[in-house]
Amino acid sequence: MSQRWQGLHLEPLWWGLFSAGGVCFAVFVPAAALVFGVLAPLGVIELNYLKLHVWYGSWWGLMFTGTVICLPAFHAAHRIRHGLHDLKVGGGCWSILICYGIAAIVSVSALWVWFNA
Amino acid sequence: MHKEIQIKRYLPEEHAEPFWQTFRVPYDETTSVLGALNYIKEELDSTVSFRWSCRMAICGSCGYMVNGIPKLGCKDFVRNYPAALRIEPLAHFTVERDLMVAMDEFLQHLEAVKPYLIAEPSEPHKPHRQTPAQLAKYKQFANCINCGLCYAACPQFGLNPEFVGPGAIALAHRYNLDSRDQGKAKRMPVLNTHDGVWSCTFVGFCSDVCPKGVDPAAAVNQGKVESAKSMLIQMFRGGA
Repeated sequence: MSQRWQGLHLEPLWWGLFSAGGVCFAVFVPAAALVFGVLAPLGVIELNYLKLHVWYGSWWGLMFTGTVICLPAFHAAHRIRHGLHDLKVGGGCWSILICYGIAAIVSVSALWVWFNA
Repeated sequence: MHKEIQIKRYLPEEHAEPFWQTFRVPYDETTSVLGALNYIKEELDSTVSFRWSCRMAICGSCGYMVNGIPKLGCKDFVRNYPAALRIEPLAHFTVERDLMVAMDEFLQHLEAVKPYLIAEPSEPHKPHRQTPAQLAKYKQFANCINCGLCYAACPQFGLNPEFVGPGAIALAHRYNLDSRDQGKAKRMPVLNTHDGVWSCTFVGFCSDVCPKGVDPAAAVNQGKVESAKSMLIQMFRGGA
């Protein structure tokens, strides 16, 4: 193995996604929950489906998908993986495959929905 | 005033298992946990073993679990415990006898991160100059007294004793941040491993129990940024 790859591992990548997802969880997810879960159902703001659909199909929709679905999914996956480690469950590759695999499936599905919107 | 103090005894030559022993100790507002232990040793049972030295939170010798929380015996007071007071050896370390633990695991990790200035003096016999701003960058992390309370608090060290751990990483970070030091490249390979900064799950209890306000959790997590940078640089440069 060349010196370039010696000692390298994927943990910084998972941690980077976890950190970015943490910011999104703190900032964008509560905002989305407030708008779609509280203000819109209470009738405080009016949401027009057609306008929303057009907005979702734009780059703003892609950013929404990334910050409210994809990155928080990886944040949750990382936290669950380390929680499992604390409980001495699913050590080794299995927890990595299952946790980040689910986050990847959720992310790809969300991006696919956006792409076909 | 008197207090019932329970001590977890371990006398390997007499009993295979540890056992609890209760002592009745007089105390007042000024009696520290270490003071109570010294009373027990001098007046009640001279066979009780524990480490201590300075009595002023400098030497870091008198770390014990007090009601399950890592504390320095000299900095903690009997008056803080109106109910039960139970003293045990520091968690996650190998117990040698009574409240004395082997610090070897911690010391090996500490040695591995080279916690000293690595620098080629440009002009021999001249002092390394440093501005107050440069000092402020690492000063907080320099307050570590190697007491090991953060290791007793760290659940990840409890699960995996190979984890370099909060204290050693805080000191590695202290020297990496020092403007006089040139040893970062030698320390990063240890910090970059799974057992380096990446074993930390940011529980943060290490910083809660630190008797000197070092905040090792901050050092470890700033260390993750440094480690990620170090690994990226290695990937692009083709070597550390």
